[in-house]
Amino acid sequence: MEAYLKYYDLFELPPEATIEEIYKVYAYLKALYTGDAMETTALNTDFSEDLLQDYLSRLDDAYEQLKLLLETKKPALTKKTDVMDEGLSDWIKSIACFSGSALKTVRERMGVDLNDIFAVSRIQPHYLEDIENEHFSSFRAEVFLRSYLIEYTRFLSLDSQKVLADYLPRYRKSQGQA
Amino acid sequence: MDTPEKHCKIWAVGGGKGGTGKSFITSSTGTCLALKGSKTILLDADLGGANLHSFFGLNKPRYSLADFFEKKIPLQDIMVQSGVANLGLITGSIGSLDSESINFAQKQKLFRHIRALDADHILIDLGAGTHINTLDTFLLADRMIVVTVPEITALENMYQFIKSVYFRKMKFIFKTYDLNTTIQDTWKNRASHNIRSLKDLITHLRESSEYIRDIFDREISGFVVHIVLNQVRTTRDILVGENLKSACMNFLGLKVVYAGYCRQDEAVHENINNKEPFLIFNRISPVVKEIKTLTDNIITGTHLSVRKDLVNGSLSQIL
Repeated sequence: MEAYLKYYDLFELPPEATIEEIYKVYAYLKALYTGDAMETTALNTDFSEDLLQDYLSRLDDAYEQLKLLLETKKPALTKKTDVMDEGLSDWIKSIACFSGSALKTVRERMGVDLNDIFAVSRIQPHYLEDIENEHFSSFRAEVFLRSYLIEYTRFLSLDSQKVLADYLPRYRKSQGQA
Repeated sequence: MDTPEKHCKIWAVGGGKGGTGKSFITSSTGTCLALKGSKTILLDADLGGANLHSFFGLNKPRYSLADFFEKKIPLQDIMVQSGVANLGLITGSIGSLDSESINFAQKQKLFRHIRALDADHILIDLGAGTHINTLDTFLLADRMIVVTVPEITALENMYQFIKSVYFRKMKFIFKTYDLNTTIQDTWKNRASHNIRSLKDLITHLRESSEYIRDIFDREISGFVVHIVLNQVRTTRDILVGENLKSACMNFLGLKVVYAGYCRQDEAVHENINNKEPFLIFNRISPVVKEIKTLTDNIITGTHLSVRKDLVNGSLSQIL
């Protein structure tokens, strides 16, 4: 157990943390350091690629190790959190490609309403619907869609880089044909 | 809390950028301490643009720090009552004194006199920028507070300020161990040591000898800067403090404490423009509670914990 404390430390979580809680913090930190957040951009040259890669690999490693630890310790997770049911985070990880409909399914399984996302992100619900329906013509430029997607995924604690990588190529393709 | 040999605790409020609310935070936390019953003195050391008195509806006091330096008037006589019980105010001078002309000896003298004042807490409001004088005053304090706002330009200046303070502190400590040439030579030859940042320099120095690592552990590892985030507008903004803490640790190798935040509130703005000490006149603004929380956190050195809220999803309800 001693050896695992440093992994918990990296997430700043107590050893009682559940795998769902760890995943949330893991996804949060990963999004923070791979998106272009102002907290990292403002570091200028101190935000070096070397340090970043080192940090991200420690983060991945810590998550993997804790996942293994918690899975072997209690094979069936019984504790339910109000936001993520058991298996949901596993199921999210099994999603090969985040399309609009996949995002909608994730959101609905989390019990999140579009108005909840609007309340925090101030992105009009009709734009959020257009994201889920892949109604690409609503977005005049990629930059809008991109920032909406980041807010959307951040709200659901999804890996925004993965979602962007899955989602944006289809938008670009549609723009190319238009 | 207070150690017997140190009569009062000195707080310094700084931060690279102007207009982030340093004077607002100083006056409000000071008022908060005074309302708790601690004898508190505010010292406006923004020698170029002192305006702390305006937060209490006072006119520019007759005497200022310039009179302390030039005419040797005791600090006790320069101090005026702020109008809030237990809260005194010593003002800097507006434009009359070239702030860069104060030397280190004068600064140390000022601090000796400050420490001799009859008070539990003395809060020093520093000007913007990373001038050596500002850094030194900051470093002489018992509690170091940086005020910033969730804007990229303010964050850039804040990082620069924290790095400068830390570097200055490092140089100062190394000097007391007669190692001042070590740090200078290492930095001068940084290319050959593959040092590109402050973090690299710290790592390099720590690894250079057992002796130096000891110095770091003993003298510098306890060095903490408290961050106060002002003019927060969204839930996402609250997390900026949390993120700064993580970024400072991972990319600068420096420990900071996220002490708290204050939201943007029009009512507070009005209080300031009406020259009313807002903590006295305003009982309903949520900022009142936020000021209390961050003051308590600074006293005890506690982190504002938003990690828990982040995990259980309750963060979206805060603002």
